[in-house]
Amino acid sequence: MALFADQLVNGCALGALYALFAIGFGLVFATLGILNAAHGTYASAAAIAAYFAVDALGVPFPLALLLGVAAAAVLALAVDQVAFQPLRAQGGGMLGALITSIAAWIVLDNLADDATGHQSLSFPLSSYPSGMIHLGAIAFARMQGWTILAMAAVTVAMHLLIRRSRFGAAMRAVGWNEAAAALSGVNPRAVVSATALLAGATSGLAGVLGAVLTQNVSYTLGEGLMLKGFAAVVVGGYDDVRGAAVAGVALGIIEVMTAQYLSSSLRDGITYALLLGFLLLRPRGLFGSAAFTRA
Amino acid sequence: MIRYLAAGAALLLAATAEAAPLAPGTYTVGFVSEVTGPVAFAGLSYLHGATLAAAEINDAFYLGSGVRIAVAEKNSGSDAARTIQDATQFIADRSVIAVTCCILSAVAASVKPITINAGMPLVIYGATMPGLPAPPLVYSMTVLPGPKDTATALAVAGAVKPKTVAYFLAADNDAFKGRMAATRTALEAAHVTTAGVVSVLTSDTDFTAAATQAMGMNPDAILIYTTQAPAVGIIAALRQRGYTATIVGNDVLSPVSVFRKLGPAVVGVPFPIGFSADLAATPAARDFVAAYTAQFKTAPDIYSAQGYEAIWFIAQGLKAAGGTPTRDSLAAALAAQKEVEHNVYGGEPIVGGQIDTTGTLIVAWSPDGRLVPWSGAP
Repeated sequence: MALFADQLVNGCALGALYALFAIGFGLVFATLGILNAAHGTYASAAAIAAYFAVDALGVPFPLALLLGVAAAAVLALAVDQVAFQPLRAQGGGMLGALITSIAAWIVLDNLADDATGHQSLSFPLSSYPSGMIHLGAIAFARMQGWTILAMAAVTVAMHLLIRRSRFGAAMRAVGWNEAAAALSGVNPRAVVSATALLAGATSGLAGVLGAVLTQNVSYTLGEGLMLKGFAAVVVGGYDDVRGAAVAGVALGIIEVMTAQYLSSSLRDGITYALLLGFLLLRPRGLFGSAAFTRA
Repeated sequence: MIRYLAAGAALLLAATAEAAPLAPGTYTVGFVSEVTGPVAFAGLSYLHGATLAAAEINDAFYLGSGVRIAVAEKNSGSDAARTIQDATQFIADRSVIAVTCCILSAVAASVKPITINAGMPLVIYGATMPGLPAPPLVYSMTVLPGPKDTATALAVAGAVKPKTVAYFLAADNDAFKGRMAATRTALEAAHVTTAGVVSVLTSDTDFTAAATQAMGMNPDAILIYTTQAPAVGIIAALRQRGYTATIVGNDVLSPVSVFRKLGPAVVGVPFPIGFSADLAATPAARDFVAAYTAQFKTAPDIYSAQGYEAIWFIAQGLKAAGGTPTRDSLAAALAAQKEVEHNVYGGEPIVGGQIDTTGTLIVAWSPDGRLVPWSGAP
């Protein structure tokens, strides 16, 4: 039973990373209409920036985390303005944006690989809250606890922002129909830029936390999150952060429990088969709108 | 068939005749590097070792006056298609007399038939899958790790006396599957029970759950058969979760970057190694360490040594071929070599195109970041 509980927490922590990543990924798709293959690179960039802040500059971890998140947000905005904005201005479709994002992904991955000297680095053990927390028979790492809390906080904040604020209404309006939103007084470019910043920041948060949890600061960090984050968005529904959060955590738990109790070598195959089965039953995802389509 | 007959005749000549001096000129070796991609951490070391060897060979006039060896590099990024493309370009370039390549076994296995078909001597510098060498054209400069792994596991079992062990296995890596299977058979024959096998993938990044799973088996020792990134993640996760019993690693733990990354978590973890800068015992090894450190501002690792040996072995073949060597005559000359003469291992015999070293050096990281002989403590 203790093993089951430990693995449940492990699954939640892993899933929290997927969820954080998926929230930003879904935000970009729902608002900007871009299936952004470069989204994982923001996570890697955040981890690398935070790592160098800690290792080279001696910045305390909480501040380094914020720096990493800010770096990812700025990078996401830069990619959006350089790679996607020209396509939007010319009315380019989703396929063009996808190809552009693949190009950005490859370029940024190469830069990240160079930045880490082709090595997988890790934060010094003394730089972040390490050690284990024991709650009765359950034991988990402090950073696992912080990751789950961060995911919960970001999910609630993003849900409130999108569903209960004027800015959220503007985001949804731009996502639905940019021209109509503009006619209603919304500045689509400002909304798009803010969305890119938010998406980059959430991906960056997943990146820094993931780098600590997995002892991996390298370009592979974002690549590892990419496929699982995408799966979480598809299962959760593109236009609701609650879905991405629930699906991300579920994905992590299924992955861990499959490895523990069924087969560790067939873990990914079984996990994705379950997801496929779910989508056959509910194609629009957990919380997805029945009639949601990109304008 | 004609090519093999020609190589056979040349081999006979090479074995019986004193080689003529090499014709002056530059002999180019095509080096397919892996300085980007998933194993770039090792790829740079291989390339540095190779370039150092070429410089030493030229500076010492090893091949004779007016004779130089050059290393032409093409980076494959560990991608099989790009590696084949690079090898094909080297084959098309008639100034290239031999090719050396490959860290990943699957990539080496892809390139091997292409170079054999083209009659191009291929010296594999990093891949560890058994069966890759095929003299007179294909050679491996990497000591097969399987027997060393098994010897290490038996030595650790003899010292620590575990009743049960658990294994971590990179389930998508056939070479590690073979290595683990051989060790498991040997340990079970020594009455060490297998508590279980935890499979991971080489692309995995989170090992918390896998560590929890292994610890749930309550093994007296854990043996790791994975590539470097998972091995590092597994050790970190095991130690963080409080696993204090014996962990047995493999040669992927030898680069200093692993110690920098893991620190105390990897101290005392035994693993076999063919070469260590900290334990360089022969004058050739000490010279290599000094020259490498001076040029690259870091100590060489096992990968550097393998890249270094690959170029020295090809140079040895060129010298033995003599005259104006062709790819065929070089292949024949390489096949006639019984050992790599200039080596950093204190002896490097070649059997069936595969190098070997005598004995098994079991080491562990010390708290101050040096490789030291394993003390036998759990």
